[in-house]
Amino acid sequence: MGRELVMTREGAQSFFGRLIEEGPVMGPRERISQPGFVMFDWLDSAGQLRLKYTTTTIPPKKAFFPPRQPLFEFESSQPPTITAVQEATAFTLVGVHPCDLAALEMLDDAYAQEPAEACWPAARARARVIGVDCLPDEYCFCFGFGTCYGREGADLFLTPIGRGYLVEVLTEAGGGMLRLSDVEDATDADREQAAAFRRAKSERMTASIDASPAEFADILEEDDFGELWREVASRCYSCGSCNTTCPTCFCFDIKDEFDLGLTGGRRIRSWDSCQLQEFALVAGGHNFRRIRWQRVRHRWHRKFLYLYRDFGRPYCTGCGRCSRACTADINIVDVSNEIIGRARGRA
Amino acid sequence: MRAADELPVTEDITRFYRPELARVIAKQRLSEMMVLLRLQLNSAETLDHGPGQFLQISLPGYGEAPISFCSSPTRTESFEICVAAVGNLSQAMHHLRPGDFVGVRGPYGHGFPVNDMRGRDILCIAGGIGLAPLRSLINYVADRRSEFGRMILVYGARKPGERLFKDDLAVWDARDDFETRYTVDEADADWTGRTGVVTIPLRDEVEIDPGRTTAAVVGPPVMYRFVAAELLEKGMVAEDILFSLERRFKCGMGKCGHCQLNDLYVCQDGPVFRYSQLLGRSEAIEVWAPEDERK
Repeated sequence: MGRELVMTREGAQSFFGRLIEEGPVMGPRERISQPGFVMFDWLDSAGQLRLKYTTTTIPPKKAFFPPRQPLFEFESSQPPTITAVQEATAFTLVGVHPCDLAALEMLDDAYAQEPAEACWPAARARARVIGVDCLPDEYCFCFGFGTCYGREGADLFLTPIGRGYLVEVLTEAGGGMLRLSDVEDATDADREQAAAFRRAKSERMTASIDASPAEFADILEEDDFGELWREVASRCYSCGSCNTTCPTCFCFDIKDEFDLGLTGGRRIRSWDSCQLQEFALVAGGHNFRRIRWQRVRHRWHRKFLYLYRDFGRPYCTGCGRCSRACTADINIVDVSNEIIGRARGRA
Repeated sequence: MRAADELPVTEDITRFYRPELARVIAKQRLSEMMVLLRLQLNSAETLDHGPGQFLQISLPGYGEAPISFCSSPTRTESFEICVAAVGNLSQAMHHLRPGDFVGVRGPYGHGFPVNDMRGRDILCIAGGIGLAPLRSLINYVADRRSEFGRMILVYGARKPGERLFKDDLAVWDARDDFETRYTVDEADADWTGRTGVVTIPLRDEVEIDPGRTTAAVVGPPVMYRFVAAELLEKGMVAEDILFSLERRFKCGMGKCGHCQLNDLYVCQDGPVFRYSQLLGRSEAIEVWAPEDERK
């Protein structure tokens, strides 16, 4: 862990105010039309920032891969002209919880796998990241996933304490940001309060998956669970909300969009969902996951088996967003534990 | 560095997604549904593809789709693709004329492992438009004939009018060093050749030495398990049976997720696989499900 300092509540207010004056800052704020609904968005003032929030519906990956990302503009003349769209503005992403920091690192790994994708790391290179610690609700299950106390990719990390925040300086860029702030050295009492916050975080966590990621991957690999997938699928609407809200989902579609004049437009890369029926459709109408249970199973296999084998950790952070968003009340922890229970029952 | 700074643009970050322009230099109608386009990169470079690889082809405004090369890399001045008019993009491509431009990026994927196939007997089995990707291999073998053993082609089309590459079929048929077995599922009044699905001549009229034969199979998904059964019956092992699989790749780089086949990405690990790689993977060839779930 890096250097530890303290930013008072007032100090934090003026720090984020200066940061916003200096350049674009994205962070958790209330939706103007919906007080109480916290989402990641661009901040106009420090007063909008809500560093105390449970979770957001849409994860902060959207700062680096927006739901719809133009790749290039075209004129559909003969020959066509093609002009790259390249965002180059540096920005700061603030208020990222440890589970979401872990998710960003997972996407770093996924997009860097050869042949490496270039849009994601370029967007990551434009941003400084300030993390903040949090307390769980009944959907969170990060404790068993090792994403509870992570600091990956953060330049600064804030833990709430009585007089403000304990600030961990994790990178040189993080230290550089602190020139905008009045900070004090942390006392033992400050450090004890931060430790107490972290203890409260794990003590309040009620949900957990009952197997280690390694054991869960083995369970999914060894057995079929055909009946269970059909049971879950009988409730699933295939709406794709679980994918849209997932911080580690990275599948996408590529489509062209014409301007109204029909002479030009842009090619768009957009988030996609493996739960939608047409996801694995090919020419001639063949669909390799046409039946709903096949798609439900695919989601579990991809997150907890295939990507676990590729990258050494499950592509799930325990954030609980998919369970909160599910229109059919399918809970990732309950289903996973049902699988684990049945596997152990058979053994 | 100040946060509001414009960062220097040091690399072209959308290069993976951005096509280069290729010019249509010839167009030939192969059947009611299919046209053959001969293309040349605007930069006059060669794509340097291997038989069985694919590229992403696009028309700005109509989108992008994966398509297999149907020409052999031994013919370097241009490359060919075969387009079925099935969607918006492919229908627009049917309206292209020589001199028009399309966008291309690639080549992608692992094609036929020609280095491992050298010296062996080659048995190509094509169903329907599966002849298009196989043509890249067949003409590769034709152009480097001495490097391979026997060359056997079994080709089945649904109807005589849907047969592709009729000129090539005649050339291959006339060669002393090619053995051809052509069939159609449904004959018409003018058809004098075989009738029946592709596995019938494969079963009855093809004798092979299974130890020195590599089979390359491309066709509709339903064809694969019947062909595999015939080849295993002839004594072949799964390692020597090559299947080219089709998926709707969006990126071609193992990122978009659309071509995932259990733990494999078809665009990276394939599209050409050994049958032995696919055994035990439930999403490879056709997805089994009882009739009452087929809705």
